[in-house]
Amino acid sequence: MAPERLIVVGGDAAGMSAASQAKRRRPDLEIVVFEKSTHVSYSA
Amino acid sequence: MIATGATPVCPDLPGSDAVEICGVNTLQSGVELHRRLDAGNLKKAVVVGGGYIGLEMAEALVRRGLEVSLINRPPEVMDTLDQDMGQLVSQALRDLGVTLYLEETLTGFDTKQGKVTGVVTDKRSLPADMVILGLGVRPNTSLAAAAGIPLGEKGSIRVNDRMETGRAGIWAAGDCAESFHLVSRKPIHIALGTVANRHGRVAGINLGGGYATFPGVVGTAVTKICHVEVARTGLQEKELRKLGLEWVSAVIKSRTKAGYFPGAGEITVKVLAERGSGRLLGGQIVGMEGSAKRIDTLATALHAGFTVEEMINLDLGYAPPFSPVWDPVVTAAREAAKML
Repeated sequence: MAPERLIVVGGDAAGMSAASQAKRRRPDLEIVVFEKSTHVSYSA
Repeated sequence: MIATGATPVCPDLPGSDAVEICGVNTLQSGVELHRRLDAGNLKKAVVVGGGYIGLEMAEALVRRGLEVSLINRPPEVMDTLDQDMGQLVSQALRDLGVTLYLEETLTGFDTKQGKVTGVVTDKRSLPADMVILGLGVRPNTSLAAAAGIPLGEKGSIRVNDRMETGRAGIWAAGDCAESFHLVSRKPIHIALGTVANRHGRVAGINLGGGYATFPGVVGTAVTKICHVEVARTGLQEKELRKLGLEWVSAVIKSRTKAGYFPGAGEITVKVLAERGSGRLLGGQIVGMEGSAKRIDTLATALHAGFTVEEMINLDLGYAPPFSPVWDPVVTAAREAAKML
């Protein structure tokens, strides 16, 4: 069975905090983050 | 998970197509600003907007040796403070060498061959080699709106206590999402990194199968203009007026360390409390080094729902290098308690 996938739109403070918390609790979760700029989570 | 952030407001005014810097809100916009400052022989800068971005940019440009003017629509800069406290910040900017044009409204930009050459207000025209706008942000919610997700305060995405939107399985956090104000008991849109981190944590725990809630915010923020630290939390007078609440306010001047201790600086604290009940409603601080983070005592008291009387006996840390024996925020709470 394909893993469950979480799509995160936006890779700064809120998006990356959410992605990392979700991954910590569900290591099996496939997480894809879309970020418009070339920098992720520069302030988180 | 929608974490699309917010975008600086770029007003649609004559000449605004030529404006290159609408707000400084990403690492990339800071890099571009640096590049332009390094490349050009820039002398005059005009900053529009006296909020956090405007003030911090004004300071940075003065430090780089530019002649800086700042245009601000309200009577004092830092409109998230009451006027009597904002006035102290306006003075700090003047002391730094920034020319302030208060109570002036931006009406457009002078341009020449597609480049901005000046800023026009309802009262004057100012020549400018560089213009920076700090006019606030709007939540990026076109994706959410297109998906039919309900929006709330100032067009931010409405979420429940677990940060889930009105559409099951879709979550939102950060500058694009709404918060709840614990003092006004109303929804509010606050675009701050501190809030975004807490939003994201709660959303992520829930997305990972856990359980977490985000109770809300009290509106705490700090900044610094050269040597002067600025802090605010809770509700300010104009918000209280809008809510129909009645309040007392106390403003005190004290020192950041014991008065006799070397390096003690001035600190001004304002505390607002509900008339009768004494419930703490908000606080503002302007002062020298060691002032701003004292706001955290007031922010915690707001979360706890303390009255100003309950603050009087708070067992806060004291030794001469850190504080007067009565912490300035407690001194302000005592004064407010006398007025109830």
